[in-house]
Amino acid sequence: MTEMAILFDSSRCTGCRGCQVACKCWNDLPSEPTAENPYDSVNWDDKFTHPADLNSCTRLIMTFNDFESESSQKRVGWAFSRRACQHCTNAGCVNICPAGALRKDEDTGMVTYDQDKCIGCQNCSAACPFDVPRYEDRGGKTVINKCSGCVDRVAHGMMPACVTTCQPGALQFGERDAMIELAHERLAFLQDHGYQDACVYGESEMDGLHVIQVLKHGMDAHGAVKDPQIPAAAFLSGIMKPVTAVGAGATVLGLAAMFGLAHGYKRDTLVYNDGTGDTISLESGQVTKQGNGPDERTVVESMTENLPEKVKDKLPASLAQGKKGGDDDE
Amino acid sequence: MTTHWCDMQNTDVILNIGSNSVENHPVSSKWLHKAHDKGAKWMVVDPRYTRTAEQADIYCPIRSGTDIAFYGGLYNYIITNLIEPGLAEYTRTGKNPSNYNFEYLINYTNASYILMEEYEFDPETGLFSGWNEESESYDAHSWHYETEEEVPWDTSVTGAYNWSVAEGVPEFEKPVLTVPKKDATLQNERCVYQKFKEHYSRYDMDTVCKVCGMDKEDLELVYSTWATSCAPGKAGTILYALGQTQHTYGAQNTRAMSVLQLLSGNIGVPGGGVCALRGEPNVQGATDMGMLVNEQPAYLKWSNTTDRDTLAHWLESQTYSDGYYTNKPKFMISQLKEFYGDNATVKNDYGYDWWPKVPSHDGSDWSEMSSFEKMKEGTMKGYYAWGMNPCHSAPNTGNVRRSMAHLDWAVTIDQVITETASFWDAPDMNAEEIGTTCYFLPCALIYEKPGTILNSGRWIQWRQQAVEPWDEAKPDYEICDLLWREIVRLYKEEGGVATDPILKLKWDYYLDGKIDPRPVSWALNGYALEGSDWKSGFKSDAKGEKLTSGSINLLSGYANLAADGSTACGMWIYSGFYSNNEAPVSAESQPVYGRDNTDYGGLGLYNKWAYSWPDNRRVIYNRASADMNGQPWNKDKCLVKWDKKAKAWLTGKTADGFDNPDFVASKSATDPKTGVVTTTAIEPNNKAFFMLWEQNGRLESYGMVDGPLPEHFEPFETPMSENLLNGRLNSPCFLGRPETAGKKRKGTQYVDDSTRHATVDEYPYVATTYSVTEHWQTGAQTRACPALVEAMPGDMIEMSRELAKEKGIQTGDKIRVWNRRASVVVTAVVTPRLRPLTVNGKTQHQIGLTHHYSWSKLFGLTTHGAVNDLTPNVGDPNSQTPEYKAFLVNIEKTTV
Amino acid sequence: MDLTRRGFFKALGAASMTSFAFGMSQASPALAVEAEDSWKLVNTEEYTNICCYCAGGCGSLCSVRDGELVNLEGDPDHPINQGGLCPKGATMFQLRNVVNPETHEIEKSKVRQTKPLVRRPYSNQWEPISWEDAIKEIAQKTKETRDAGFVETEMVNGKKLTVNRCESIASLGGSQQNSEEEYLILKMMRALGIVAIDNQARV
Repeated sequence: MTEMAILFDSSRCTGCRGCQVACKCWNDLPSEPTAENPYDSVNWDDKFTHPADLNSCTRLIMTFNDFESESSQKRVGWAFSRRACQHCTNAGCVNICPAGALRKDEDTGMVTYDQDKCIGCQNCSAACPFDVPRYEDRGGKTVINKCSGCVDRVAHGMMPACVTTCQPGALQFGERDAMIELAHERLAFLQDHGYQDACVYGESEMDGLHVIQVLKHGMDAHGAVKDPQIPAAAFLSGIMKPVTAVGAGATVLGLAAMFGLAHGYKRDTLVYNDGTGDTISLESGQVTKQGNGPDERTVVESMTENLPEKVKDKLPASLAQGKKGGDDDE
Repeated sequence: MTTHWCDMQNTDVILNIGSNSVENHPVSSKWLHKAHDKGAKWMVVDPRYTRTAEQADIYCPIRSGTDIAFYGGLYNYIITNLIEPGLAEYTRTGKNPSNYNFEYLINYTNASYILMEEYEFDPETGLFSGWNEESESYDAHSWHYETEEEVPWDTSVTGAYNWSVAEGVPEFEKPVLTVPKKDATLQNERCVYQKFKEHYSRYDMDTVCKVCGMDKEDLELVYSTWATSCAPGKAGTILYALGQTQHTYGAQNTRAMSVLQLLSGNIGVPGGGVCALRGEPNVQGATDMGMLVNEQPAYLKWSNTTDRDTLAHWLESQTYSDGYYTNKPKFMISQLKEFYGDNATVKNDYGYDWWPKVPSHDGSDWSEMSSFEKMKEGTMKGYYAWGMNPCHSAPNTGNVRRSMAHLDWAVTIDQVITETASFWDAPDMNAEEIGTTCYFLPCALIYEKPGTILNSGRWIQWRQQAVEPWDEAKPDYEICDLLWREIVRLYKEEGGVATDPILKLKWDYYLDGKIDPRPVSWALNGYALEGSDWKSGFKSDAKGEKLTSGSINLLSGYANLAADGSTACGMWIYSGFYSNNEAPVSAESQPVYGRDNTDYGGLGLYNKWAYSWPDNRRVIYNRASADMNGQPWNKDKCLVKWDKKAKAWLTGKTADGFDNPDFVASKSATDPKTGVVTTTAIEPNNKAFFMLWEQNGRLESYGMVDGPLPEHFEPFETPMSENLLNGRLNSPCFLGRPETAGKKRKGTQYVDDSTRHATVDEYPYVATTYSVTEHWQTGAQTRACPALVEAMPGDMIEMSRELAKEKGIQTGDKIRVWNRRASVVVTAVVTPRLRPLTVNGKTQHQIGLTHHYSWSKLFGLTTHGAVNDLTPNVGDPNSQTPEYKAFLVNIEKTTV
Repeated sequence: MDLTRRGFFKALGAASMTSFAFGMSQASPALAVEAEDSWKLVNTEEYTNICCYCAGGCGSLCSVRDGELVNLEGDPDHPINQGGLCPKGATMFQLRNVVNPETHEIEKSKVRQTKPLVRRPYSNQWEPISWEDAIKEIAQKTKETRDAGFVETEMVNGKKLTVNRCESIASLGGSQQNSEEEYLILKMMRALGIVAIDNQARV
């Protein structure tokens, strides 16, 4: 594998959002909402940042931050920043994914995924220090949506869609070492031009990101996460492995809720059968049947059978028949 | 653009003024950053700190509409700091100092020309000599040069102009060259340089700061940085767009930039020039094509009722006495031959009188803005809008809607239902009272049809058709053909008024029985009549290369055009772009489809990619890139060069890596007895601008209707009560200005009910309008793209934190913006990127408005009207461009 | 890993390389990419086009399969934009095809109007009309309006001039068309005697 990386040089970026929309076009992503007159109540609090954050059909956005600055003749600055997956070397999302949907691309080191395998447990979101993964509804199934690194394009010798379209050359793609070298060359140029807060980001964060950034106005102005960490990473991976190993009836137990609280998220806890792909929400009781079980009840029974007692106690009434020693004799 | 996009990388100083180029011409960012990487200084002078300003090294805010004060101050700075200190020494030694290019100024511009004795400017009245109080217009006579001698054309058998008396060439009185008087020392008090120096001596830095609302420190930094581009071998480039042109003195703004570039020795050199960033995909083409009231295709002038009332008068008034435009009769007759084919003969003046004559004797104006006044008058009853949306893009759109309601019929050809198509459906219109029949015809998208398009750098490029038009949509060429055939049928069958201009027209652009852009390309490129057969009907071979029926003899360039009716050409300047006779059916085999992207010479000429008019020149005026001996000012940046040993020019015609010469590099003569053609090189001379008769660039020009030198005036709606630079507040002759009390002026007048002048006491804020990078003009295309609506979902008003505090406004608030023309509601963005300016000692707030959304039923529907409801319908008297960029409004927070 | 902005041209083989050369007859032969179902550009043909926005003249590549556009992006060979496209250019695909947010299927843009329409006097709505009828009606109205307001001759400074001018019709636009179309529109309008011809040069 050759470690590849996207270089984002914010000092060449013009904030045009060509990358944002090229990503949508290549990946056939819609824009929401699309009804007539949907934008009257649009949230302009972020000034130029539209949509306000990543969402179910938006994998990449540009964010904008303008500020007064006494340090330059211009007396004002405008930081353009790129918000998308950073493609960590130590990728919590890959480690936590119970379904094997998230993976490191063998050719590039980019973090990519297979939506067909995704079970929508959303734990990757909790494991992400950058709050990147989002989820979309695909034919009734909730699946992850985030930057894939355009590994399909790369495999065909093309640059990622965002990089290809970038007019000012703020985005480049190449071997990670070369990108880092370019980043440092640019850093020297910027410092020479009076941008004393400028820095390179991504070289060592998360054991090295596959998005290297040159931040012209420094980390604060660009909203970069300082010293990013996987939230309680060791604990996560520790608990995940044995549970998934159960096989037929695995839970993705409470993890999302646990970390979700810290992040202000509300998540479902799912029970998952990695053989059939069936899931049951422990919060709502909703059953999503992917396999060929004869009926929902059978699915519920087969999946709840081996659950730890602690988990079974949490089951909603509609699923209670799966409890050991239950008195439901139909 | 005098240059092209890829040439920006060669510059040493970038000045964005009146252009937010990285945002609105995004590809410029690629080439400007290349220059910046190599050490160029980047400056932005703009009312707002734009996305371009963020890229730049230096930012200097300016009050909208005060650019000429800024340029005047810069001229004064250059004269005081660079020219005056070195002029005497240069005159004595003939040696250029390191910081200023005297050789360029004295030889390539008209600085040394002596002006007429009557030439004058009066700062008290703000008027130049020649002002006629009665007609309120200028007579430009006193702005001309004094004559040294008169040289008539040599039409003898061996003379250069023998062609003009050949058989088939219409008779006309030949021009006489009036050689101007000059003083190469620039000391004569009536020479252009001295008058220029005197004129701009009023533009001292303190006054400029007061007018423009600038800090002196910022201004001095901008001026001194620009001055570095005046050194021989250095280049500075100016990028401008509608921020310069959309003023009641917009054409003077553009002249001011050309003058600056001449004074700085920057025109024609790599990385120099004036970059007019054209705003529409093919507006360069539309302008070239003469889709304007007075402009005929390829920068000739349409017939009119005064100096062009007959063909002979056209030839006499338009043919230059010297320089390349001595050839105009060739271009003109070839164009008439293309219009009327065999029906055009020397006996009927090649059909000249079938052309409509623009009324030039009565002062009437027929441009876009005035057309709405004519609807209200009842003159204009029918309207075609081809992919244009004046109910959104014209100034004072409320006036436009009310005017259009007077029409009998209107046809809109577009991709979506625009505000223009559905003007009767606007929130403030009552459809039941509007008797106009409105048609909507759906047109094809750009990749649903083939054809050529021009970019800002004059590159002609071919678009391939990728897919069929969807559903019932049709290409514009097909729509046009359907209409024309039906109109001709009606006139043939029913007769009508003046049928000759219609029935004599040549309209035979069919290939394999269908209307096709390729035969039109042949017409634009030009063809010899001998060897061309349009009558048999064109059929192509199976490979789509050659013709199996009909024939066409394409010309290799405009040098082959003749004035005797033996050639036909719709666009002389394009000639050569589609000239491969081996495969006339295949556009991909033509120079226009050249796809060799090798950068021969390393200056980004890319002269084997596509075709650049004229004659595939990439940097026009490129003679000025070399000194009087033909040696480049900068040896690393060479476009053309005189080879001293070979006694010949090195140009793109003779070697890779050079540009095609924009000057006469050699001349050919045919021995009348033997027929032998001999070509001799022309040694370097001072004729660097051969499209002008004097062949030198004009610091002072008699060609404008509103003055020979750019002079500062205030916008139609200004916060100022006086003009700090002269005694007149507004430009004396802008379009749509109110009539002077008690006087009736000739021509098209705009009544105040139309323009609705707003004054500063009621409307204290200076407003300017602009586009964002995510949207395109009226949004007819971009509002149909979900990803773009999502990326920039509405119009906004940008304002400073100081103004927002005063008005209790926060980002996201709904703001009512109004003046005497209209009231619209937009979303507030409060930002440090706008700051209050101190103008003549007082605080002046400026606000910015985007103008992409409106009420038509596309994505991003708004019920709040279009921002152009607010803009004033007044404009420049030379170009008729409206003043969108500076007007007055009031604002308040609203809950609507 | 060796990547260029035009990396995929290598995958396309020699056929496409010939399109570099001036003088070839057909620039866009069907360019077969390796048969792999999931690859978005499988079995597509490329056509070159030029962006419809700012007069930068950026080149674009349209990838077409079975007569339908499947992708549009910057032309990496184009010297001006070198594969880049701004947000407007990068979404030109959506002028024709958009993704339905409900079904995620690509469908024809519903905002685009692809049939002729007429709005009759005093009506508050559009009605369908056939192309044939629309052209007939417009041509008839053009003729009537022209003939009613036509100025054949005019006295100017005591001289009778043939002016052949139609003052009652205006034609606006041209900057969005290809040059050949501009010429046809211009030629038609001037032939009708129209002088109120203008385009987007000022807006």
